[in-house]
Amino acid sequence: MIIDPSLREDFLEAILNLARDGRRPPTIHDIAAALKKTEGEIQSVLTVLAEKGDAVLAGDGGVTLTPQGKELAMRVVKKHETLQCFFSEMLGMDIPSASNEACLLEHAVSDETISRLGTYMQSPPHRRRGGQGEGGEIVRPLPALTDFNEGDDLIVSRILGKERANRLLDLGVVPGERVRIKRKLANNALVVQVKGCDVALSPEVAASICVEREQ
Amino acid sequence: MRFALIGNPNVGKSTIFNQLTGLGVEINRYPGTAVALEKGNVCYKNEKFEIIDLPGIYSLDGSSDEEALVRTFLEEREAGALIAVLDATRLERNLYLLLQVAEYRMPMFVVVNKIDEAERSGLSIDTRRLSELLGVEVIAVAAREGRNIDRIVPAALGAARPPDVQTPYDHHIEAALTSLEKTLSTPRHRNLLALQGGSLDPLLRDSAESIAREIEQRHRMSVHQIIATNRHNFSRQLAAEVVAISERKTSFDLDRLLTRTMPGIPILCAILVFMLLSVFLIGSWLERAIVAGFTTALIGPFNALGLPPLPAQIGGSLLIALQAGFGIAFPFVFIFYLALSFLEDTGYLTRAAFLADRAMHRLGLHGEAIIPMVIGFGCTVPAIMSIRILKTRREKTIAAFLITMIPCSARTVVIAGIVAAFVGLLWAFSIYLIIFVLIIVSAILLSRITPGEQFGMIVEMTPLRRPQPALVLTKAWIRIKEFLFIAMPVLIVTSIALGLLQYSGIIDALQGMVAPLTMSLLGLPPYASTALLFGIFRKELAFETLAVLGGTADLGSIMSAVQLYTFAVISVLFIPCVSTIAVLYRNLGARITVLASVYSVSLGIFIGALINLLMK
Repeated sequence: MIIDPSLREDFLEAILNLARDGRRPPTIHDIAAALKKTEGEIQSVLTVLAEKGDAVLAGDGGVTLTPQGKELAMRVVKKHETLQCFFSEMLGMDIPSASNEACLLEHAVSDETISRLGTYMQSPPHRRRGGQGEGGEIVRPLPALTDFNEGDDLIVSRILGKERANRLLDLGVVPGERVRIKRKLANNALVVQVKGCDVALSPEVAASICVEREQ
Repeated sequence: MRFALIGNPNVGKSTIFNQLTGLGVEINRYPGTAVALEKGNVCYKNEKFEIIDLPGIYSLDGSSDEEALVRTFLEEREAGALIAVLDATRLERNLYLLLQVAEYRMPMFVVVNKIDEAERSGLSIDTRRLSELLGVEVIAVAAREGRNIDRIVPAALGAARPPDVQTPYDHHIEAALTSLEKTLSTPRHRNLLALQGGSLDPLLRDSAESIAREIEQRHRMSVHQIIATNRHNFSRQLAAEVVAISERKTSFDLDRLLTRTMPGIPILCAILVFMLLSVFLIGSWLERAIVAGFTTALIGPFNALGLPPLPAQIGGSLLIALQAGFGIAFPFVFIFYLALSFLEDTGYLTRAAFLADRAMHRLGLHGEAIIPMVIGFGCTVPAIMSIRILKTRREKTIAAFLITMIPCSARTVVIAGIVAAFVGLLWAFSIYLIIFVLIIVSAILLSRITPGEQFGMIVEMTPLRRPQPALVLTKAWIRIKEFLFIAMPVLIVTSIALGLLQYSGIIDALQGMVAPLTMSLLGLPPYASTALLFGIFRKELAFETLAVLGGTADLGSIMSAVQLYTFAVISVLFIPCVSTIAVLYRNLGARITVLASVYSVSLGIFIGALINLLMK
């Protein structure tokens, strides 16, 4: 039997959420209640999921996700949360409609869009990196210079923090510029090469420079 | 006619300046800032021209004292022609400032310096093409070799003209510039500054602010960031047209050793200890020689003159002040600056700052602060003078407080002369221990209460190179002149005032007044307060005065071990010397000076009382 990919994602998402909430693995009954479907429908889809290797049906009626199923489920949950956060926080929609809208879009949206949307929501002046906003823990922070090692060639994607950015800008650390980490000490103090010059940075400055690996 | 050298730090402006002017340089300070401007003269075809070496800056849009000073200088058209100095080995980065300078449309020309180094590393620069692109004369120079230096003054006189080059900005920025220009008829460079929030004109600032907010919302980037990115991109285009890389020669990179924890930190420690020791040894030897020379050549004969008491007092005070001033200036300030200029010129200082950043961070400071702190062990005066390398006022303030507490070599003399000699060597070390604990406690306290945000270190690592003796000497000489100029008048006035007080008997009266306090609180003989008072000229003077007033050099016979120990601790912590107060005032203003002085006095008395209480 073949099932719709979005149905599969809905199922996995529901199982993951239920497993997070409860102390024991969710039963068919729990899943049916969460998805507003009959137990018979749930039973048949779960059989397919078990065949695909996404979930395991235990003897006591508990459903657990396999690593593969869990990974897929987490991706969907993240998409859902990011979209919901965007709709409710940035666009001002109420939470139930934001959640409904997210439920529909989460199956179609690409990973890249979600990642960029997350970055966009992170951006100052609204939210700083690692800030404890409601969406703060959901969106993955951009990697900073301090996350890389000596000899890595990187592209600056963003500089957080307004004041200290000025001196960095003057020295050529601007979004889109290539930098190479020339030295990294144990405390994350860095020497980076930018525009042919070496610049020494304190750990807290280096942590405020978001970078991507050069493609 | 006046010319001004403008450019990034470490592009060789000072070398060019020295090559053009030689000695006879004068330092001008702009009121309210710690920024120095060097002025010198050059003769060409029997005419004298003034050359100004503007402070090295990375940008004209920032808010630092240096940037504001250069901006004012350009805004007021104080020079007939600008000599923009670029580093051939870092042309692209250097063009960023040049594009900003070009916005001012002043007569100028470009000197591409370090052309020899560029050639050695396989770079060739098409100066003719650069000249076409910028619309001004471009001269390739190797200042260290003296190559083409002679072409600079003729170019300044004949070829300087406003540049044609104009940075193409993002179309929103361009639209904003045009609209500001139309509505307020302000020039482009002022509008650019205003869009970045740096304008002083309220009308322009307000209109620019609302436009800037709109642009920032649309771009989700600050206007400053957009403008900087545009300029960097344009610099890259320009550089790509004129710089050709034939072969990248890779030579052994000393930084492989210097900037690693191992062996970088041991090397750093060795250099600092060596610097300290040499200043300690040479400095104190020279100081003794100067003090002794003064005594035999001037003070002795003066006392033998048998003048009436008042002139004798005034003359004596004057001589003491001169002795104290020269006794600090030449041995300590000069030698330290010699060592410091040497390190600065080699480019090692930036490595030291990088390595020390973490340790300094714990004290609420940054890597750059290691230099003043280390110098402080030799002499507080040059240490305070060098805190101008720190960026924020917060750091300067914290550093100033801590430096006034660090035991300088004069205080070491007190510790050695009183405690090590009469109480015991271990006790002498315990004083250092007490002071270090106090410094760390104060640092933690200060970093909590000092206002201002803490910024991390962002320092360009200057390339390592062989220092030039002439430049090192000039720098040290300029510093010492500055010191004498700042500290001497203060020393002389204080000394004469104190002499008059002593003459009129007020000091004795004062000593009598504080005697109960001195005796009960600190457990010291009454004349100790006078000795401490004289310690503000040179810290050793506290020790010497004590011997004079006590009537014997064998202090152990007149004071108990606890008394000597207490006296030493107080005089080490007690108020910074007059020269320190003078440079503190000069660099940080009256408020910090008073606070730092009051803090050290009360700390000294408090710790002294505590010791007296505990050990009595």
